[in-house]
Amino acid sequence: MVPERFAEDADRTGHIMLQKNTEQTREGQGLTVPVWDIWVRLFHWLLLACVATATVTGFFADATWLRLHIAGGLGAAGLVLARIVWGFTGPTHARFKDFFPRPSAVMEHLRGGGGRHRGHNPLGGAMVFAFFLAILFLAATGLAILGGAFKTGPLAFAFTFQSGHAMEEVHELIALALLVMIGLHVAGVVLESFRSRENLARGMVTGEKEWRADDHQPRIARPRGLAAAAAIAAVGAVLILANTGLSARPVPGMPVANLDPTYAQECGDCHTVYHPSLLPAASWRALMPRLADHFGENASLGPELTAELEAYLVAHAAETADTKAANRMARGLDAPPLAMTETPFWKHQHEDLAKALFASDAVGSASNCAACHLDAETGLFSPLSISIPKQETIR
Amino acid sequence: MKYLLIVPALLIATPALAQSTSPSDLIQRYSAEAGRAADAGRGKSFFLANHGSGKPDTPSCTTCHTKNPRSAGKARTGKTIDPLAPSANGARLTDLAKVEKWFRRNCDSVLGRSCTAGEKADVVAWLASQ
Repeated sequence: MVPERFAEDADRTGHIMLQKNTEQTREGQGLTVPVWDIWVRLFHWLLLACVATATVTGFFADATWLRLHIAGGLGAAGLVLARIVWGFTGPTHARFKDFFPRPSAVMEHLRGGGGRHRGHNPLGGAMVFAFFLAILFLAATGLAILGGAFKTGPLAFAFTFQSGHAMEEVHELIALALLVMIGLHVAGVVLESFRSRENLARGMVTGEKEWRADDHQPRIARPRGLAAAAAIAAVGAVLILANTGLSARPVPGMPVANLDPTYAQECGDCHTVYHPSLLPAASWRALMPRLADHFGENASLGPELTAELEAYLVAHAAETADTKAANRMARGLDAPPLAMTETPFWKHQHEDLAKALFASDAVGSASNCAACHLDAETGLFSPLSISIPKQETIR
Repeated sequence: MKYLLIVPALLIATPALAQSTSPSDLIQRYSAEAGRAADAGRGKSFFLANHGSGKPDTPSCTTCHTKNPRSAGKARTGKTIDPLAPSANGARLTDLAKVEKWFRRNCDSVLGRSCTAGEKADVVAWLASQ
């Protein structure tokens, strides 16, 4: 009688057992052996979900989706780290030594030799490592961008706006490369499925593949679950500690943290308390002496108070902060801007928003930053702090 | 003789220093300054009128404060303005410096000039009667 499939522990003795059963097996159709353990399969499909999430939100969604983008990207990186541990502790075909793409093996495979690999073939193995590298680099450059532009996260202490911005280009290039790699991966799976007359994608779902006599002989390895769990827990603990420690470091270029209470009171009576870092010193010097005609209204304060507030604003103007708004909106303009909403940067950032949104009851005016930017008074304007009022209130 | 000079000086200085007043104090103060009684009806028509002599974006008090002083208004920036009527907002008309500051600013924005003491007395009287 031919067994329908070998037991789960076939890996342990399977090699010998299969040898013994060769005759039986040749008679038996569809005899299968476990190839992809449950953790490898979970890893593969969860990674797909995370990468898909990060890709869609990264390329197509607006800034309000950043939280999900970061969750997808860091989720993918976390999965890769766990998979690397499993590459040293998992069963036969989970191990790196089962599919490490030695040049000689790659060449042999390209020539069509070396037998069928039940696990990753040498080219597929090379792609696995390329995926890992790309995903880890994407996570690292992503954290650099977050740190540089929004002064948030574990790398905020190490990246200026400029260096974080430079990483944005790298991040995009790797993301595009990752898309090409995914295309190659799917093409490789289709091609190899035809070549070896089996459904490789199905194998990644069921975990099992047909046993064939001329298969490339794997080196049997037993899974070491406890060691893997301990290593993953250790890596996780190190990452959490590192994140806590690095995030607590002082961040250079932070906009002044506490708004002057007199400034907040006097100017906040009529409008959002604009953070001093949103305009260059020259703009504040131009605005403050003309409060009697302030964007169409008399907002005069009396000479002493005006001078006091101007000094405060100039002391903490855009020149003193390394935020995105200070770098992109306030600096590098020929004439100092007076209305932020007239700057090219502001217009570009808000061009996709409906005019009706600004006129809605909840917002009222484009000058009402705090209607959507919950962190407006910090000067950071992080995409993570955007909350656009519900559409029901917009008519 | 010196005492006679100190008494009026104290009378003028005390409310400004304390920065605390009440609608009736304000009415009294502005009426005395204007030399006539406050008229709530005149205050109402002044408040609701379309003056158009000030800055183009603010032709009337009602541009921002709405026609009902018991309801909240909205600045051109989108910021909510609490109701002006003391019956709807107990903090209104209790701080002389604030009252003076906003008359100074808003009369210029709406009328293009300062308000007279009589106009202030009328408007305060109307707001207090709401």
